[in-house]
Amino acid sequence: MNDSGRQENKEPNMQPSMEYAMAELRNCADLNHLKLPEIGVDFVYFGHFIGSQEFTREISEPFTHIRADEVDQLLKRTIYKPITESQSLIKAILSGEVAVFHGSNTYSVKAYDPKSRAIEESQTESVIVGPHDGFVEEVEVNVSLIRRRVKSSHLKVIKLEIGELTKNHVYVMYINDVVNMEHVNELVHRISGVEMDAVFDGNMLVQYIEDNPNSIFPLFISTERPDTAASMLAEGKVIAILNGSPSVICAPASFFEFFSSPDDYYQRWPVGSALRLLRLFALFMTLTLTPIYVSVTTFHYEMVPETLLLSLAQSRSRVPFPPLFEAILMEITIELLREAGARLPTKIGQTIGIVGGIVIGQAAVQAGITSNILIIAVASSAIASFVIPSYIMSSCIRLVRFPLIILAGLLGNFGFMLGIGFIIVHLAGLTSLKNSYLTPLAPSNLKDWGDIFIRAPFSMLKKRPFVNQSPNPVRNKMRK
Amino acid sequence: MHKISRIGAALIIPLLLPACADQRILEELGTVHTTSYDLLPEEEGKSSKELLITMTIPKNDPENRKVREEILTTTSINSKGGRIRLSRKTELSLVSGQLRNVLFGSRLAKEGIWPLMDTFQRDPSISQRLKITVVDGSAHDLVTEKYPPHPMTGPYIERMLEKQEKSKMSAEATLYDFTRDYYDDGIDPIAPIVKKQGGNVVMEGIALFNEDRYMTKIPADEVLIFGFLQGDFRQGELSMDFGESANKEANNAMFTSLISKRKIKVFANRSRDDITVNVSVQIKGSVLEYNGKMDLSIDQDRRKLERLISEQITDKANDMISKMQKNNVDSLGLGQYVRNSMSYGRWKKLNWEEVYPHVRVHCKATMVIKDYGKFK
Repeated sequence: MNDSGRQENKEPNMQPSMEYAMAELRNCADLNHLKLPEIGVDFVYFGHFIGSQEFTREISEPFTHIRADEVDQLLKRTIYKPITESQSLIKAILSGEVAVFHGSNTYSVKAYDPKSRAIEESQTESVIVGPHDGFVEEVEVNVSLIRRRVKSSHLKVIKLEIGELTKNHVYVMYINDVVNMEHVNELVHRISGVEMDAVFDGNMLVQYIEDNPNSIFPLFISTERPDTAASMLAEGKVIAILNGSPSVICAPASFFEFFSSPDDYYQRWPVGSALRLLRLFALFMTLTLTPIYVSVTTFHYEMVPETLLLSLAQSRSRVPFPPLFEAILMEITIELLREAGARLPTKIGQTIGIVGGIVIGQAAVQAGITSNILIIAVASSAIASFVIPSYIMSSCIRLVRFPLIILAGLLGNFGFMLGIGFIIVHLAGLTSLKNSYLTPLAPSNLKDWGDIFIRAPFSMLKKRPFVNQSPNPVRNKMRK
Repeated sequence: MHKISRIGAALIIPLLLPACADQRILEELGTVHTTSYDLLPEEEGKSSKELLITMTIPKNDPENRKVREEILTTTSINSKGGRIRLSRKTELSLVSGQLRNVLFGSRLAKEGIWPLMDTFQRDPSISQRLKITVVDGSAHDLVTEKYPPHPMTGPYIERMLEKQEKSKMSAEATLYDFTRDYYDDGIDPIAPIVKKQGGNVVMEGIALFNEDRYMTKIPADEVLIFGFLQGDFRQGELSMDFGESANKEANNAMFTSLISKRKIKVFANRSRDDITVNVSVQIKGSVLEYNGKMDLSIDQDRRKLERLISEQITDKANDMISKMQKNNVDSLGLGQYVRNSMSYGRWKKLNWEEVYPHVRVHCKATMVIKDYGKFK
């Protein structure tokens, strides 16, 4: 376009002009330039950011039916924001506004309505009962989904910018008086401190702002469900929404919150409690089943009842490998299957399931490569790991299993307990926004246990979770 | 940096310390299920007595997908020495962590079994729930015999004993019980006694020990009476025959759902060494079978039946106690009650071993019929 080899001038207080904008955005083929010479107005914008309805309402309708002397009057409307700095002019165009040039004056008008994915249910966090909407990539839609649920003037939103190159936006949301302001300040401070050219996903952002980015465990909850996010806000957490990502970050978090699902609250409390217990049992099972198989078959034959011992020995008798090697082999096979299934389209994924489950499982036993009891152990611990509602937590737990299996194979139950002990010590040392990760177990807060191991009836869940350090802890003023 | 090296050390040191010594991979093990010990007849020129040791090892047969039992026999002067000798005969490494039952031949049991019990106590892999059993006759013969309906002799004997225990038709004698009674003051250990009979292993009664020596036994028919005297229980069946031989009428009854309560009172006079022990037993049960002339729906008849049974149990119990006193075995633990009734100093001065045969023991049993079935 107007590319005359002019020096780029980046002084922020320079008077904004169309020439400057065109120069700055040269070689951008997706830039649109609309001229209305009869009234002396120019529009510069990115066409794909602009909704056709908005464009008609704000631009084509008002400007085509007026005379040249009426333009000044029209531009006094508040929707046309006068721009005085050239830098903010570029920023406005890049974030989807239409730049209006009239004489020496520059305005911007919002007509932002990009094409985005429709609101649909989250694939990773689906529930049977309860709301079926999910966050999308568009931050404004996501904020709106939350404000639809929390219709309160106390719901505050802070807008931050992140990514030196991508100039992305993060919205930090909290409910005033319910949240502990220290958490908000800390989170805002950490997000503003991120010095990275590009951040694309909430889960990626988390790794820049966590207390311990090297830990295997996720320290902030991320969710794709607006109802979960709203409930986190009501509990007194701070949430952060990154534009372009359906994963919303919630902090501070405790380890046990990763094992609760919105389903627990939507079902009757005995059912919800049973589900909670089932998940904790699944955690226990996925961590212990294979390591115990390995340690029992390698060291502790005393531990098994006699009848089981015989069938264990029977299934092991044709296997040429030591139990440790056999177990690692099968665990890796299962992980291969899972990863292959995750990266493939659903239809091929099913084929993988059949090939893996039936063909490999059955054939491996018949060929005498593994024992069928190990197949049962590996398969049930894999299923148990998928019971954990948070996908991020579930993949951590699956990875943690491998060192446990190796320790169990080298040192038996002693090694296994050593590994478990190390995990617990590590968990106890973690913090999430400077709050202990194992709250309310350590530091202990007995009242919160009703919302961790079980889902107690709502009449008993009167206080906000201790981990949120809310200044206004009573949430349920219900009388029995 | 310091932190990382410290964590690294914490991880590596435990890996180095145990030095991967005793891996025991399951399919390479011969897990001994039952061991039997017999005393061999003494031979000339041998200083110590030799033992005949037999072990049964359940083994997989992958070709036929069946479990077989391997039986190994050797002679040795002690238990673990026997294991070392036996392991020469098999491709499996013999381990005793799954040992469930140990059988002693009656000759050995009469000599005393404590020297062999030592290894069971010392070996940490042996369960405290290991069963101690005496065999009437040769334990080796009992174990090596084939019992066609029961392909695995070891588990067969063990399960038979277990089932008998549950219905109080046998006494519980685990390694723990035996050792506790052995060391405890004022009680002597007991163990079930079994015998080979026809094609079966039969429960023969209860062997009564003095210290570790098998003295006498209670026949199988009277084991339940011993159970009444031994303590409270809530299960079991009692069959009684009180037909008078003069008029040859059938007169017997069978009771079920027994609830038995025992109380022991000791009267130990301070001045004299005169000790009286009263054992009272109260049994409740429902009639499941009755053959006789009485009509159980009539209160008087039922009382009469209760009285008859009470008398009979009382007589049998008194006989049993005097038999124990004659053999100087305090299997009921009466000594413990005597000990609890007096000061420690006086108990120490009292030589229970000598006093026990002369203590006056009175037993009184009362039977209560809870109901007499749905038959009116």
